[in-house]
Amino acid sequence: MKTISEKILSKRSGVDAASGDIVTVPVDLVFAHDGTLPLAIQELGGHSVKFPENVVAFCDHASPSPSEKVSNVQTLMRQFAHRYGLDFYENGDGICHQIVLERYASPYKIIVGGDSHTCTHGALGAFATGMGSTDVASIMAYGKTWLKVPETVHVEVSGKLPKSVHSKDVFLELLSRITADGATYKALEFYGDTVEAMSVESRATLSNMAIEAGAKVGMCAADEKVEAYLAHYGRSSDFTPLCADKDAIYVEEVRIRAETIVPMIAKPHKVDNVVPVTELEGQEVDQVCIGSCTNGRIEDLRAAARILDGHQSKARLVIYPASRGVLLEALKEGVLETLLKAGASIGPPGCGFCIGRTVALGDGEVALSTQNRNFKGRMGNDNSFIYLSSPSTAAASAIGGKITDPRGLER
Amino acid sequence: MKIEGPVVRVFPSDTNTDEIIAGKYKYDELDLNKLARHTFESLDTHFYDDCTRLKDPILVAGANFGCGSSREQAPQVLKACGISCVIADSFARIFYRNGFNIGLPLVECESISNNVTRGEMLNVDFGRGVIQSENRNAEYRFKPIPQFMQELLERGGLMQYLDARGGFTD
Repeated sequence: MKTISEKILSKRSGVDAASGDIVTVPVDLVFAHDGTLPLAIQELGGHSVKFPENVVAFCDHASPSPSEKVSNVQTLMRQFAHRYGLDFYENGDGICHQIVLERYASPYKIIVGGDSHTCTHGALGAFATGMGSTDVASIMAYGKTWLKVPETVHVEVSGKLPKSVHSKDVFLELLSRITADGATYKALEFYGDTVEAMSVESRATLSNMAIEAGAKVGMCAADEKVEAYLAHYGRSSDFTPLCADKDAIYVEEVRIRAETIVPMIAKPHKVDNVVPVTELEGQEVDQVCIGSCTNGRIEDLRAAARILDGHQSKARLVIYPASRGVLLEALKEGVLETLLKAGASIGPPGCGFCIGRTVALGDGEVALSTQNRNFKGRMGNDNSFIYLSSPSTAAASAIGGKITDPRGLER
Repeated sequence: MKIEGPVVRVFPSDTNTDEIIAGKYKYDELDLNKLARHTFESLDTHFYDDCTRLKDPILVAGANFGCGSSREQAPQVLKACGISCVIADSFARIFYRNGFNIGLPLVECESISNNVTRGEMLNVDFGRGVIQSENRNAEYRFKPIPQFMQELLERGGLMQYLDARGGFTD
């Protein structure tokens, strides 16, 4: 009678764990980036890294470095990674979460990232959660961590999603119901035939945004889609099936009918300030951004290309693929050509526009972005406005430079 | 453990870590004392100066304080501003963990943001789970913090605590 979280944490702690218990677990992967690793290195002090093979470092946030100060901080990271022989990903390799999906995450793993969106890896059945730099440092030093076994909210999505409606819209709908602290300290588990039908990439969008409801993890069952995803990246042996027991105990259940979901938008400056796109149609946008750990994968770029094909973007269109692999696929498939012809400026794989250090908005400007957060100042300017949507809504809105319902525009 | 100080600000619910310290600064500066000058800059340009003028200032906030990014710079700059304790209706999970990890006392006390105002002197008794307001002659109760988390604070944070114990005990 266990949830996915209880199953993983019981197995990995060696204790029969239920929600509310505090367990000590070995950490299979701990990673951090240029926004969080430097502080972790400071916190590590005189300790050495206990299991260097389990530690990965990324330069993805302020990437490529926009200033001498950032470059110096990144140099410190490189020296640290070199000293311990850590896997190190350079500017342009991609966003930590996309690379962890492709190369490291798998069912039953315990993953801690120095980034709140580490919950992304629940899409592959890993118990993956974001922590701060001191936790990252303590794991580097000792190889373990404490976790409180979370209570779980069961999210059941059933039915067929309408065309041009994405998992992003599903999550925004969920957020509008449970709000930005609706799952604080809890786990979200995503079930139902809609989720079963989704690609791992679409599920990763759901898991990625779990933190926007305050959740510790966003878990999906590890099924044959996960098996195929791992096989695609040459990691078949990492697969183990995983799902909750039928009689698992949940603290809350949320039911969503997929057919009723429409394209959704989160308005400034809160993620749960969600309305249907139709309510905002016609509002002008200066910049449309497609990418991020939420929606920068190949299927997101394909969705944008299907809408932008043959059109010119009126809004400034900025696209950052989530990883080098995603960019290469987009190149091979001709997706990149479609996007370039539509007027897109393509950034190097990485976090790009999402965190406002390498790309910033002007005063009073409005952005529509596929990222996960629309906090005031997030894109580098306190006096700007960020709306969040799916890649299809973003692409449709780019064409006329105003918020547009994507339904019916897809080729 | 007891803390006494004046309320320097009362921030609303869902105050996020981007607001506490903007992402545009954190990639450039590893000196937390310098970074602290930008604390809450987008909401309140006098925050840092007001903190430095007070002895043991206490920050009060509504629900879900510290939501968003995992950046530990958020509790670190509050500590560098001299904040002695944050009392909120509730906290976001990662911020809560980070606070104790760096030795910044956090108290979860339902509705506190509706009950106290800027300038009020508060007494926080961690052992008893009581906040007293000198000005109002009022008391607010909170669930006492578990012993090991009080120890984290007394040791000054997680690394110091683990070092003293020689790591994790299973």
